[in-house]
Amino acid sequence: MLLVGSLFPSWQDFQPFLITGLALGAVYALSGVGMVVLYRATGVLYLAFGAVGAFGALVAWQLTQSHWNIWLAYLVAVVLSAVITLAYGMVFGSALAAREPVVKATATLGLTLILLGAMDLLWTSSGGASRAILLPTDNHGFVLGQINVTTTQVICLAAGVVTTVGTGAFLRFTKLGTTMRAMANDREITATLGVPIRRVEAAAWLGCGVLAGLAGVVLADLVALDATTLTFLVISSLAAALIAQLRSIVITFIAALVIGVIDAAIEASPNQGFSNYHDMAPFVLAAIALLVANRKRVISISRTGI
Amino acid sequence: MSKYQHLPRFRVGLALMATVGVTVLAGCGSSSSSHSSSSTTPAASTSSAASSTSAASSSSGTTPAASASATSSCGPKPGVKATGSPINIGTIDTHQPGTDFTDGPNMINAYFACVNANGGINGHPLKLFVELDQTNPAQITADAKQLIQSDHVVAIDGVFDLLECTLDATYWKQLGIYEMDAGISPECWSTPNSAAVNMGPRYSSDGAVQYAINTVKAKKIVFVQSNVPGTGYIAAGPAAIAKASAVPITELTENVPITDANSVALKLVDEAGSDGSVILNFTPPEALVILQAAQKLGLEDRVKSWGCSTPCDTDFLAKALGPKWNKKLFVNAEAVDADDHSGPEIELYKAILAKYGQSVAGGIGSFSQFGFLLAKFLVQALDTVKPPYTIASVNKAIVGIKAYKSEMLCQPWTYGHLALHIPNNADYTVTPDNGKMVTAQGCTAISPADPQIAQYRKVATAAGVNYPPSQ
Repeated sequence: MLLVGSLFPSWQDFQPFLITGLALGAVYALSGVGMVVLYRATGVLYLAFGAVGAFGALVAWQLTQSHWNIWLAYLVAVVLSAVITLAYGMVFGSALAAREPVVKATATLGLTLILLGAMDLLWTSSGGASRAILLPTDNHGFVLGQINVTTTQVICLAAGVVTTVGTGAFLRFTKLGTTMRAMANDREITATLGVPIRRVEAAAWLGCGVLAGLAGVVLADLVALDATTLTFLVISSLAAALIAQLRSIVITFIAALVIGVIDAAIEASPNQGFSNYHDMAPFVLAAIALLVANRKRVISISRTGI
Repeated sequence: MSKYQHLPRFRVGLALMATVGVTVLAGCGSSSSSHSSSSTTPAASTSSAASSTSAASSSSGTTPAASASATSSCGPKPGVKATGSPINIGTIDTHQPGTDFTDGPNMINAYFACVNANGGINGHPLKLFVELDQTNPAQITADAKQLIQSDHVVAIDGVFDLLECTLDATYWKQLGIYEMDAGISPECWSTPNSAAVNMGPRYSSDGAVQYAINTVKAKKIVFVQSNVPGTGYIAAGPAAIAKASAVPITELTENVPITDANSVALKLVDEAGSDGSVILNFTPPEALVILQAAQKLGLEDRVKSWGCSTPCDTDFLAKALGPKWNKKLFVNAEAVDADDHSGPEIELYKAILAKYGQSVAGGIGSFSQFGFLLAKFLVQALDTVKPPYTIASVNKAIVGIKAYKSEMLCQPWTYGHLALHIPNNADYTVTPDNGKMVTAQGCTAISPADPQIAQYRKVATAAGVNYPPSQ
């Protein structure tokens, strides 16, 4: 108990961090849900999710510098992210459909590198250049305790919940969603039943791209408008998806929130040495979840004798 | 057993592999070295999307016709192109995702282009060989050898690099090369064969802490910087300054890139308290996310003041922050704010930037100012050399630089045969003012409470080259 007390902040000190952690976790959830849905429909672990969102956010920033209406600029960001993702899915997703999942995932790293290179070229950080996206909702909110809770943070949390519930309902109650679930179980059998799998996959890629664009704009506001930072934030979302074993969007959502909150709790640690390890939180949680899941499976197999 | 019972484990394995892949990618970045040289034109631009660049560059209000005459003073023969054999100069600069110092060499190239268009050095054009590195020690030491052995450079000027001073100090000493740089690592200021025009993170942080204690009257200092190697060396300066004033100081580090700026801002404010000041030592993008997070959470007024070392001295930052930070954030500036001052040298700097500096992405700012100074001081030194231009003759002139004056620095700049060099040891303080950085405090000497500053002043005074700051 003493050790925990020295590593983690008191409840009173932690309260403001809880809000920031939940808001960030909700955006991780947005990304994680997108990745899980795409994986279930196409078998592709989309590692370019962060880079696509970052590209869209930087384009939005560029448009706002040219005095575009900010909402129109953000809409362009989302549409652009969706188009890039859909184009990748249609060209490379189809071509690699028969390959092993690891090949499909690795191919998305190629898209990541191309986008990173393009962003480094177009939006250089030379000369102290720094950019920022501010949502109008940053200026509104309410005071809770001693800190401002911005409308952006509330919207992030709401967006995470709505995305999770909406996606769950979509997969369960719509024809397209049911088809996606069928494809997740067996793509070939689904195809032999006459399902237009290319069209279903296209819908999955498009939806994932939209979520990447949304997450990119929101994370650019919450975290930083920086290509490298946004590209690799996907790791936290990936950890949440991993904890859910790339299956359950509800578990992905909960895991993402937990990652966000634990990350904030470690950041708030009174122990400076421990605080510097907060970036490890997603990996540690994912590793623990995988070990527990694997142990259950081993026990289950040994009991059934299979 | 169905084959699908293996799927969960397979998915997990796949995801784990992918995670490792992403992490390795993050570490690798772009690992290739790039090499470029230019004798007549600035390096190719990489800033097509940085629209504010042109705005910054043109903010001097210099028209093309005016700039043509304004830039003619950079060489001995206005309008006469240098056509002799080139004098090769080398530099090594960091260029990697998130850390791009190429504005420095790009500005040197702009200055060289101006000199070459106006007579050169005794009719010889200057040619800059630029080696870009990605913080790879083996690459940096190889770059140094390539510059000497393949490119036959006679001087090393304009190094803007995270590690170069540390790695190549011994090599330059063996060759009798006296490097001029705007560095980061401690050896840029603590070795006999390196002299910097900038103050670097330690002394610049000293200045920011000093301002918070002496001018803002902060009762506590929270000093926070990137969690990278060398933070102990940097933090030792602010710690000594605070200790000398009996002001408590908390030293913190944050992993970069910062992924949860809101939590970081909360922690800093909690730590400093209402009578304290928070001093940041980060690159502009990282500092910006912390300051913006503080603003969004309504924390900017919860401490007595915010401070920052020199990297924050950019109009990019002032514009992004907005008026809420006017006279709330105080940034140490190692060189004069060019937006806020005028004079023949600053007008020349702006004119060269407008005419030859298309590749200088940040426009007016510390990086291009230091590039300008490094090029100018080298050209002044070369003007004293009697041909031929060899490593020996050129470096004799460089180490002989004594009391070169500049409108941008608080004190004359001197190299000299000294055990260590901190020739820029007095600074300005600037503050945002409706989208621009303006001067909050004029030249102020960094306190000798920092033992390194005290040691430099001792050896410099003994050598007769210690200059108090001019107001």
